[in-house]
Amino acid sequence: MSTAISLRGLTKVFATGVTAVSSLDLSVDDGEFVVLVGPSGCGKTTALRMVAGLETITSGSVAFGDRVVNGVSPRHRDVAMVFQNYALYPHLTVYQNIGFALANKGVPKSERHSRILATAATTGLSELLARKPRQLSGGQRQRVAMARALVRSPAVFLMDEPLSNLDAKLRVAMRSEVLSVHRASGAATMYVTHDQTEAMTMGDRVAVLRDGVLQQYGTPRSLYSTPANLFVATFIGSPEMNLYEAGVCADGSLTVGSQRLALPAGSVPAGYQGRKIIVGIRPEDLGDPVSAGPDVAAALCVDVRLVEVLGSEQHVYFSVDATPAGGDLAAAALAAAAPDGVARVGVGAGIRPGNQVRFGIDADRLHFFDPDTGLAVRPG
Amino acid sequence: MSVSVLPPASAPDTVEPVRESRRERRRRERLEEQDSNIPVELYGLRRGTVPFLTSLAFLFAIFTLVPIAWIIINSTKNQANIFETFGFWFARPFSLFHNFSLLFQNVDGYGTYIQWFGNTALYAVLGGGGAAALAAFAGYGFARFSFRGSRVLFYMIIAALLVPITALTVPLYLTYAKAHLINSLWGMVLPSMISPVGIYLMRVYVDISVPRDLIDAARIDGAGELRIFFRVALPLMVPGVITVLLLSIVAVWNNYFLPLLIFNINSRYPLTVGLGLWSLRAQNSGNAQLFPMLVTGGLVTILPLIALFLLLQRYWRGGILLGSIAN
Amino acid sequence: MSRRSAWINRRDRRGIWFVVPFLVGFVLFMVVPLGYAIYTSLYTSKLIGGTVFSGASNYTQTLQSSDFWNGVIRVVIYAAIQIPVMLAIAFFFACVFDLGVAKFGRTFRTIFFIPFAVPAVVGAVMWSFLLEPQFGPVVHLANAFGFSNTNFFSSSLLLPSIIVIVIWEWTGYNMVILYTALKSVPRDVVEAAILDDTPLWKIILRIKLPMVRPAIVMLVFLNLIGALQLFTEPQILEYFQQGAVSVNYTPAYFIYQTAIAADETNLAAAMAVILAVVIVLISAVSLVFRFGRSRRRRGEFA
Repeated sequence: MSTAISLRGLTKVFATGVTAVSSLDLSVDDGEFVVLVGPSGCGKTTALRMVAGLETITSGSVAFGDRVVNGVSPRHRDVAMVFQNYALYPHLTVYQNIGFALANKGVPKSERHSRILATAATTGLSELLARKPRQLSGGQRQRVAMARALVRSPAVFLMDEPLSNLDAKLRVAMRSEVLSVHRASGAATMYVTHDQTEAMTMGDRVAVLRDGVLQQYGTPRSLYSTPANLFVATFIGSPEMNLYEAGVCADGSLTVGSQRLALPAGSVPAGYQGRKIIVGIRPEDLGDPVSAGPDVAAALCVDVRLVEVLGSEQHVYFSVDATPAGGDLAAAALAAAAPDGVARVGVGAGIRPGNQVRFGIDADRLHFFDPDTGLAVRPG
Repeated sequence: MSVSVLPPASAPDTVEPVRESRRERRRRERLEEQDSNIPVELYGLRRGTVPFLTSLAFLFAIFTLVPIAWIIINSTKNQANIFETFGFWFARPFSLFHNFSLLFQNVDGYGTYIQWFGNTALYAVLGGGGAAALAAFAGYGFARFSFRGSRVLFYMIIAALLVPITALTVPLYLTYAKAHLINSLWGMVLPSMISPVGIYLMRVYVDISVPRDLIDAARIDGAGELRIFFRVALPLMVPGVITVLLLSIVAVWNNYFLPLLIFNINSRYPLTVGLGLWSLRAQNSGNAQLFPMLVTGGLVTILPLIALFLLLQRYWRGGILLGSIAN
Repeated sequence: MSRRSAWINRRDRRGIWFVVPFLVGFVLFMVVPLGYAIYTSLYTSKLIGGTVFSGASNYTQTLQSSDFWNGVIRVVIYAAIQIPVMLAIAFFFACVFDLGVAKFGRTFRTIFFIPFAVPAVVGAVMWSFLLEPQFGPVVHLANAFGFSNTNFFSSSLLLPSIIVIVIWEWTGYNMVILYTALKSVPRDVVEAAILDDTPLWKIILRIKLPMVRPAIVMLVFLNLIGALQLFTEPQILEYFQQGAVSVNYTPAYFIYQTAIAADETNLAAAMAVILAVVIVLISAVSLVFRFGRSRRRRGEFA
C-alpha cells in the first residue's frame, strides 16, 4: 500500500504570531480514510487547508506520493475539498455547480454532461439538478458539495467538518453517505471533525490534535484501548473515562481515596511505588455492581448521586472520596460538590441516588498515566 | 510521540482586556486583515500584474488628487499668479495669509466668507444632528416594531428618493415666500433633517445590531419603551448613528440647491451658495481679489470634511455604509 | 393579524411614536411641497388677470416644448455614458483592492474617497479653473500633446467635461460601496473556485460580480436619480463661462431658470412634476432591464 499523502514536520504560524499547527507528522495511504479530530482551535482545519494549498506552509512539507507539493498551487494539486459551509456557487444550478471545475478544465460538453449525471446519480441528486442552492435543504446542499468534489475524480479528497451544520439525526444518516462517496472515489481522504463519535465510526485511522500538536495517531481501536495520554483518554469515548489520583503501595495495590484496591501482581506500572499515579477506567468497564460481599478482590465503593435512564442502559453518576484528575467532569467536580465519575450499567440494575454501590474492577481494564506528564504508562 | 500537557484543573474563563497603543492596534488589524485575505499567489497571476495594477491605482490617485493639489498650491498665489504661473508649483509672492485674511472681510459687498462658514457649520450640525436623531428613532421604530402599515410606509419613504429635488425645493421656496420664511435658519435646517437614506441605513443597522431578545428581556423587566430605546438599543446603534450623522452632515454641508433658493440675503448663505456667487462675480466684476478668495475659500471649505473623514475612517470604512445592500 | 395577542399588538402600535417625528417632517417637507407643486402647476399667473386655474395647460406647454425634451435627452445621454463608465472604474478598483492584487490598498481607498467630502460646487470650481480655456493647466497639457486650442467649455466638449467632473466626484463613493459588497462574498466560495482551477477573470466575472449584483443595482438606481437631476456642475460652469450652458441645458436647470429667473413658477411646477414622472419611469425601466438581463443568463453554463 503506497502512501498517498505524507505530512512531515508540518508547521503553521500565522502573521499575528499564533501557532496553529506544530510539527505535524502524518501519513495517509492510498484509498485510506483518515480523520483529524480535536477540539476547536486545535489546528485540524489549518492542517487540512495546508494540504489543500489554501494556507501557506511555515515549515515542514506536504507530499502526494513522492512529490513534494509545498510550492504547488492548489489549482494543480488535484485535490478536491468539501467545505464546512458547502461553499456552493449561489447563483448557479446544482448541475452547473457540479460541472464548474470540469468546464474550467475544458472538458468537452458531452463528457461533462455524462460525468455530471453519473455523479448526481451516485449522490442522489438527479432530481435536483435544475435547482439553485437556496432552494435546497442543508442535507441536499451538503450532497451537492460532495458531488462537486467527487466529479473531479481527484487524487486526494479533503473534507472540512462537512456534517457539522446538519442536525444530529441527519448527521448520523449522512455518515454512511460520506463513506460511500469515499469508496466511490477511491481516493485518499482526510476528514476533519470535532466529533469523536464521527472519528471513531468513520476513520480507518484517526489523528487526535490539541493546540496544534498531534496527540496520537492510530486506528480507532488503538485510540480507545491504548490512549497515549490523558487528553486522548478523555477525548475519545463517551461518557468520558473516569480518572482519579491514586497512591501506589509497596505491594502493588492502589489506594484511591480511602479505599484500597488489591490488584494482581504486575498490574500497576513499575516505578511508582510510594508515589502518586493517575488511574483511569472507562464507564463501560466498571463491572457489574456488587451490592455486598467482598468476593471480588478489587472493587470501588461509590456514592450514587444521579441516575440517567437512557432506555437501553443507564448512566450512574457517582462520587468517590478521592481526588479526580483530568477531564471535564473532574473540572466541574472540583468546583462544586458534583459527581466525579460515571458508570454505564444495564437497565435492571435497580440503582438509585443515595445508594452506596460497589463496582468490580478488572485490572486489565485500568489505564495508568503519569501525574506530571500526563502520558500513559503501561504495566510490565 | 509528542508530549502533551496535563489539562489545567480549572481554566480561567476571563480574558484580560489587552491594552494596546494605537499603533499596535493598527498593526494587529493589518495582520489580521492579511490573515483573513486569500493570498494573492493563489490567483495565478502573471508576474507583472500586481505592479501594473498598482500603477493604475496610482494614476487614478493622481487624477483624484490633482484638483486638491491645485487648490492647495494656488491658494498661496495672488490673482495674477493664479492665471499666469504654472498651475502646479508655487510662485512669489506667497499670498496665503493675505488671501486667508480676505476671507474675514466683506470685499466689495460680495459677502464675508467666515460668516458663510459659520452658517454652514450651524446648518450642518443642526441639520445633520437632527437627521441622525430622527433616523435613529424612526429606524428603530421600523426595525423593531411591526405596526399596521409599517411596511407600506417604509417603502413610501424610500420611494421619496425618486422625487427630484427640484420638485420638492421649488414649491418649498414658494411656500416659504408666502409664509415669510425666506432666509430663515429653520427653513434650511428642518427640511435637511428629512433623509430617507438615513432611515434606510438606520433600519438596516438596527436589524443587525439590536437583538429582539434583548428588547423583550428589558420589557419583561418592566422597562418602558423609551427607556429601552435609550438604555438598551441606542448604545448598540452607535456606529450606525455615527455613520448616518457623518453622511447627513456632509449632505447638508454640500447642499447647494436648497439654500440657493431659500436664501437671498448674503449673510445667510452657506459656503456652497457663497462660493457659487463668487464664481459668477469673479468673472464679471472688476475685482481681481475674488479669484484668490475663491480658491482659498474653496480650500478652507473642504478641509474640515476631509479631516473629519480621516479621523473617523473606521465608521465609513466598515460595512455600515449601505452595508446590507444584499438585503 | 388577529391571531397575535392583544398585548403584542398594543406594544407594536407604540412603535409608531418612534416614527412619528420623522413622519411629521416628511409630510411637511416632502408630501406637502409635492402636493403644492401639483396644485400650483394647475394655475397660471399673468400680469393681467392674476392667477387663474388653467388645468393642464402648463403640462401641455411643457410636453410640447422641444427645449424641455432636449434637456431631458441630454441628461439621458449623459447618464447613459457617465454611469456605466463610473461604475466600471469603481468596480474595477473595488475588485483590485478586495483581491489585494495591488499594493497600498488602504491608502488608495482613502484617497479615492476624498472627493466625497468635497461639495459639488467646490469640485466644479476647481475643475473650472483647471479646464479654463486660456489659463487652465489642463489646457496647457493638451497643447503640449498637440491638441491646440481645446475649449472645454465649448458645446462639443462641455458635456464630456461635466462627465469627467462627476466621475471625479463620485467614483470613490461607489467604489467603497462595491468594495464593501465584495468583501461580504464568503471566502470559502472563492477558495472552492480556486480549487476548481478557475482563472481570476472568471472568479471576478462569474462568481463575485453576480454575488454583488444587488449592490450594483442599488448604485445604478441612486446614480441614475442623481444624474437625471444634474444641476450644480452646469451652473458653475456657466458662471465661469457665460453662454456655455443654454438655459434648458438640463431639466433641473431649466426648472430653476423658469422659476427664479423668469418667475414663471406655475410652469416650473408643472415641469418639476413631469420631471418627477420621467425619473420614475426611467428608474423603473432600468430596474426591469436589470432583472431581464439576469433571467437571460440563467441558462448559461458558467
